[in-house]
Amino acid sequence: MNDVLKTAKNCRHYAMCKIDFLGTGLCASGAERHYVSFYPQGRMDLYAALAENRIPVTEQCVEIAESCDLCGRCDYQCYFVTEMRPTTVMKALKGHVRRYLDRGGVAAAAETDGILDGLREIVGDDWATNDRAIALTYSHDPCPLAEPRMPRYVIMPGSTAEIAAVVRLLKGHDIPYAARGNGSSVMGFVMSEGAVIDLGRMKTIAFDEKNWLVTVGPGVAAFDLQKAAVERGLRVNVAEPSALVCANIMCSGLFSTFSASYGTAADHYIDAEFVGHDGEVFRLSDPSAPNLFGFTKEDAAIPGICSSADIRLHPVTDDEGAAFVPFESLEGALDFARDCAMRRIGLAIGVLGGEYISVFLSPTKGLAARVKDAFRDRLKIAYMVLVIGDRYALRSIREMGHHYFDDRMIRILNLGLPSLTTAKWLDLMDELADDDPFSYLGLKQFPDLAEAALAPSPAQLVGDVDPELRPLFEKLYARPEMTDAVWLNMFRILSSRMGREKHVLILIIYLPIDNTLITEINGKFKEIADRHGLKNDYGFITPIDNGKRCVFEYDYYLDQNDPDEMARMRQALMEAGMMIERYAAETGTVKWIRYLFCQGFCRKESFLYAREGGDQ
Amino acid sequence: MRRSGGGNGQYILTGATGFLGSHVMAGLLRQGRGVVILGRPSQDESLQERIERLLRWFGCEDRAGLCECHETDFLATRLGLGGDAYEELCNRGLGIIHCASDTSFAERNRRRVMQSNVEGLSEILDFAVASGARRFSYISTAYAAGTDQRECPEAPVSAAHFTNVYEESKAEAEGIIARRCREGKVPCTIIRPSVVYGDSVTGRSLRFNALYYPVRSLQHIRDIYLDDITQHGGKKSAECGIHINGDGELYLPIRIFVPHEGTINLIPVDYFTDTVLAIVDRPAAETFYHVTSRNPETLATLVSYIERFLNITGVEVVIGPSGADEMKNPPEELFDHFIRLYRPYMADRRIFTREHTDGATGGALPPDLSYDIFQRCMAFAVAANWGQA
Repeated sequence: MNDVLKTAKNCRHYAMCKIDFLGTGLCASGAERHYVSFYPQGRMDLYAALAENRIPVTEQCVEIAESCDLCGRCDYQCYFVTEMRPTTVMKALKGHVRRYLDRGGVAAAAETDGILDGLREIVGDDWATNDRAIALTYSHDPCPLAEPRMPRYVIMPGSTAEIAAVVRLLKGHDIPYAARGNGSSVMGFVMSEGAVIDLGRMKTIAFDEKNWLVTVGPGVAAFDLQKAAVERGLRVNVAEPSALVCANIMCSGLFSTFSASYGTAADHYIDAEFVGHDGEVFRLSDPSAPNLFGFTKEDAAIPGICSSADIRLHPVTDDEGAAFVPFESLEGALDFARDCAMRRIGLAIGVLGGEYISVFLSPTKGLAARVKDAFRDRLKIAYMVLVIGDRYALRSIREMGHHYFDDRMIRILNLGLPSLTTAKWLDLMDELADDDPFSYLGLKQFPDLAEAALAPSPAQLVGDVDPELRPLFEKLYARPEMTDAVWLNMFRILSSRMGREKHVLILIIYLPIDNTLITEINGKFKEIADRHGLKNDYGFITPIDNGKRCVFEYDYYLDQNDPDEMARMRQALMEAGMMIERYAAETGTVKWIRYLFCQGFCRKESFLYAREGGDQ
Repeated sequence: MRRSGGGNGQYILTGATGFLGSHVMAGLLRQGRGVVILGRPSQDESLQERIERLLRWFGCEDRAGLCECHETDFLATRLGLGGDAYEELCNRGLGIIHCASDTSFAERNRRRVMQSNVEGLSEILDFAVASGARRFSYISTAYAAGTDQRECPEAPVSAAHFTNVYEESKAEAEGIIARRCREGKVPCTIIRPSVVYGDSVTGRSLRFNALYYPVRSLQHIRDIYLDDITQHGGKKSAECGIHINGDGELYLPIRIFVPHEGTINLIPVDYFTDTVLAIVDRPAAETFYHVTSRNPETLATLVSYIERFLNITGVEVVIGPSGADEMKNPPEELFDHFIRLYRPYMADRRIFTREHTDGATGGALPPDLSYDIFQRCMAFAVAANWGQA
């Protein structure tokens, strides 16, 4: 496999090229044509399929290839996340199509049919298609548990009424469908051999600040909603930046480190509108509406297509800051996180492991590996508890006797990471480790010394970024928000770096913050993945419901193009699932996110505290 | 595992992988004595491998045949040795030199330190009694004397106050050893060294804490600001008044706060080893021995050595309490933080009598710490990257 094809086949489908998270602008054709096929993600899939002769050159394939102006924005975005340079693929796609046409090839026209005509009548000619080049880009994701499924139709409705009409038409012809946000869940949920209804055009955002809510269309991405809220001095609780908010709630109920105070599942919204399976429209607040607040422990089907949601707005104070509290052990970190949650200290709380911290902060894989070693071996930091709060919350942490990296130290540390990995003076920390390993953080002037020692600067941080991209990255890291832990946690643009080295599969459970139980399950997750030769690591833990429960994420990584690794992953996931079910049965308090799928609008209480066996 | 030779001169030694214990081991081997080593494997190496590595460091590979290693657990019944091995060792009735110790000063490690230094005595003392050991020699510390009195005799500890948990544990251990040996009719010797640094002749050392740590701290702080000046324009240095003076020295304005006038009692490890070997072979006339200096150094002298060695200036000794508010610049604050565990030993007013030691050694005294010795030891430490891989 040549490098270009390798890049194309390694697209993670995280949809980060569909949001302008770097402020460098979006792919122009994607913003205009909306189908994922016109974004770099779609072009990567399309090129791979053409190169492997899986589809012919079609009329829309030509359009997709020619609409790319090779602006290079996708390089910025994709390199930031995965260190890949999609522009090489974009060029190859254009070249492939051009050569085909130059050799006299004819672009295949999609054959129309009555159903397609009907769909086009509803949504307009541009927004329903059966062209194979477009269908292909909706046919798969890196999930090892999902078989690719090529849809007959891809439809992009523009309103609730259009969704309803499309659903009625499809039902009338017995055509199965899947509703799709950005597909960034990458769990194989958004594929159908019938139709895929892509909701990406419905991007309305309407604030009702008087009632602390914002009504969002199903095509609104978390990043864009947060941006709009922040512009008004407010905040929403959203998850991955490219995830579409309605789809994210529907899929599994969204959560973030802010879930420590803002909650999860039904805590996020005030009301929502749905299109049911018969095309009927209902709102959750209607007394006669289907009860989506309840929960049943079964693999549920989607209850309908969420066509808008009234999302809660949260106030923001001007004294918010972050504390990264270091710990030598998971147990110590859990004790502290639980204590904060129970005392309601902080808005956002997360117990982070070395993998997250190093990968998130580092612009390249190489630096991340060195940083991980430096944190573990030299700074003796195995875990960090992130707490975001106002000045009173941060003061409380000090009063609790903890030293922490504050906003200034986080900025110094982040921009000085390369120096940190080679700093000889860190050897001195060995001696401190015997006494109080993090006591230096309590020194008033330590940040000044750290500044002298690490010489933090954007230029230093991006020293091993590809030379062509370095100037852009240097400018990027000069922006205050890029080292602002509060901003970064609200917009979460770093978390997709988890999949930089390999695609990441997340295992999520909800359980009490019980150190013994968590340590045991953490060990079992590791043991299973190790046995199958899979890279794995602790992800994060966030307390919810005042510390009565937490969200625990463990991560398995795989090469999405390695059939053997995919097979081993399938086996490992099955074993991990059995392990979770065993703990769920034994404890009655361990809950698997699997059962939240398609029930994300439920009350968290219905899920978290439901007794096993459905006896609530 | 090899069987050692050495006849009556053979010793059982614990702590042979530590700084002092390894020098005692090498000293015994150089005298042609057999050494039965009781100790633990590390995460990566068996005890045998650890000892072989040390023998190479000491240039004593040719004496490997005199070593006999037994992996033991001092907290386990019968030292964790198999029945046959335990009995066989017991039957030899060898002298025991107990060097194993947890040297942490940190209060948060109290449980670990007390477990290792106090609870961990039970089995080795049972073994000493069961084997009718020729003698039980214990490497303690001069600072087990505690902080209650200035003149510290070569006598049982009577103090109730200590600088840290390490001193406290050693004092408690001395009491237990004296009692158990008395009850078990095992002759007992307690050897109390002060602060031990590297070899005064070669400068070599295996550990770089104690005397070395403040020097190493200052070297790293110096390098931070030298880098700032030479690589990054020196803005951060200028903020603290740090600069390179006309003589090419780095002016590093750091005050070292000590609570009162005093000295630091230092002895080189070669002197320590010779003295211990002289004491353990001596007929059991006395129990307590101070292996200390009669002419302890002042901190001011040490600072002058450090400045000269590191090519820095501006370090000042201040008598009186330090307060966080008084810290005038980041390096001063950090250095003060780094040395806080060692501060009590930098201005010590205790005087350690040493008549018993003089009797055992014919009055042989440790060399005064001259700049030459200091330079030799520190140059070795720098070349060894302060023991870092």
